[in-house]
Amino acid sequence: MAIFGPSGSGKSTLLHVLGGLDRPDEGEVFVDKIGFSTLNANELAEVRLRKIGFVFQFFNLLPRLTALRNVELPLALADVPEKESAEKAREVLRLVGLEDRMNHRPSELSGGEQQRVAIARALINDPKIVLADEPTGNLDTTTGWEIVQLMKRLNEEKAQTFVVVTHDPSIAETADRMLYLKDGFIEGVKKGRMRL
Amino acid sequence: MRWKKIFSMASENMKQRRLRTSLTTLGVIIGISAIIALASLGEGFRTTVKTRMEQGFELDVLTVIPGSFFAGLGNRFTKEDVQNISNIEEVAVATPVMQRSTVTLYNEDKNTTGLIVTAINFTDFWKVFGDRLIFSEGGLPESIENDTMVLGYKVNNPSENITFAHSNDNVTMQFKVLRGLQQVSKNCTFKVAGLLEKSGAPGATNFDYCVFIPLDYAKEIYEVPSDKQDYVDLIFVKLVKPEFSEAVATEIEELLRPSFGYQLTVLVPIAFVRQVDYILNMLQIFLTSIASIALLVAGIGIMNIMTVSVMERTREIGILKAIGAKNRTILTMFLAETVLIGVAGSLIGVLTGYGLAHILNYILSGFFTPRQSHVFQAPETSRIPMTPLFSLPWTVGAIVFGTVVCVLFGLYPARKAAKLDPVEALRYE
Repeated sequence: MAIFGPSGSGKSTLLHVLGGLDRPDEGEVFVDKIGFSTLNANELAEVRLRKIGFVFQFFNLLPRLTALRNVELPLALADVPEKESAEKAREVLRLVGLEDRMNHRPSELSGGEQQRVAIARALINDPKIVLADEPTGNLDTTTGWEIVQLMKRLNEEKAQTFVVVTHDPSIAETADRMLYLKDGFIEGVKKGRMRL
Repeated sequence: MRWKKIFSMASENMKQRRLRTSLTTLGVIIGISAIIALASLGEGFRTTVKTRMEQGFELDVLTVIPGSFFAGLGNRFTKEDVQNISNIEEVAVATPVMQRSTVTLYNEDKNTTGLIVTAINFTDFWKVFGDRLIFSEGGLPESIENDTMVLGYKVNNPSENITFAHSNDNVTMQFKVLRGLQQVSKNCTFKVAGLLEKSGAPGATNFDYCVFIPLDYAKEIYEVPSDKQDYVDLIFVKLVKPEFSEAVATEIEELLRPSFGYQLTVLVPIAFVRQVDYILNMLQIFLTSIASIALLVAGIGIMNIMTVSVMERTREIGILKAIGAKNRTILTMFLAETVLIGVAGSLIGVLTGYGLAHILNYILSGFFTPRQSHVFQAPETSRIPMTPLFSLPWTVGAIVFGTVVCVLFGLYPARKAAKLDPVEALRYE
């Protein structure tokens, strides 16, 4: 699903609310039948850890850690034993096509590669939903499309929901559903997608 | 998050900021070094003083004095008082002593003065002080012979290279007795039965200046009047165990109160030793408390650095929170860094502290050595070494204290990091 709209329309705020990073003034968010309003900060963190994956415009990787260690991080937070988490991180990095770049730090990777690492990190805990905030916003067009294709592939292969915030209509129209946001309100919903 | 992972991440973070971490740790090292150096020097000094005092005093011997040393002797004890003290269950021996001064001894052309005539019952007196009074020549009088004496070390060796007498020498004692209102000079000849080695440290029981003669004979030559024949000046009381000191002293006070009231002194060496030990202990704690200020300054340094670190890593904290880190995980990650700084700083501080203590000992030794002139020789006041003493409780205490201080000062920035709003943190540039 894509959340589409001009700058300042509230796309990112909606994404933060959906991801439990921000609390709404009104209304309720449910993820896997769990209502966020009843949860405290730590319980919300637990929901983010187990059920939600985040992909950011500026990748937000920890610069001192390698790609592999960045991807492992959510598993470390979930107390998964080191050996098991390393194995799983390798597997996910292979899935996003970075098997040869695992031991590189973010500064040694291209923008597209960094975003792939971020996607791998978002997927590592097998979340119910992946929230992506302008995932192509900091990439050139070609690389941006590669990332969109990767997300679509993972969406189909792993049957994982991707909610992508974008202001690029061509990317928004590739989604199964598109919400059009303006001044904080949903102006329209479009179903069906364009062929890539 | 597992502890191992938390500490490994903390250690990686610290490695990234090597210089900053080293300087922060240096503060802790200096604080702990100061504590350990002063504590180990204090411990060494305290132990040496305590040992010296224990050697200087027979801890199981009480000295009972009528009146006090300073106010002068009041009433005299009687043989009956001695007997009553002997009857106390915890008392091994009670022996009376009569003391006189202003005496000169002559041996042919040699003389020695500045000594105290100590009239004793040789057998009982040696039961009390036998361990201290060692003969360098001769021995105790074999039978009760009135005209025998034993010479203390300094009586026989008034200065270097001068020996006043040898055993079996005949020595003349010149002293004064009171006849009516007049002081009359008198001479008596004694055979030297034995010569003593140095009796040890100074104090109430330094017998180096004593000339020992039999008690009954002393009364005779000093012409003690018949109604005062029973009187003695001091009583030394040897106990079965030193632990009984306070109890027996109280019992003696109660026993003699009808005759002496409050004009009675019982010297309890163990109480004195305990008091000095207590004072030195307090001094040691005082010194280390001052040294702790250095550690507190280091703590403020840690607080400062960690606050800066939280600001620098705001975005990182936001990322961690976004991917599911709980507040306590962030708190623990920052505290782990302060724990590592605290433990590393304390361990290195302990080692450098002992090094510093040895250096201080070397430097201070020069100041504490008494200057001995030819005029005033004081061999028994040789310098008291301040050899630093390794003490496990102080070492463990310093490491724990150092770590706790670091954690306490790191708590504020760590809490600040843990409470950051994830969205705000992610927006931080």
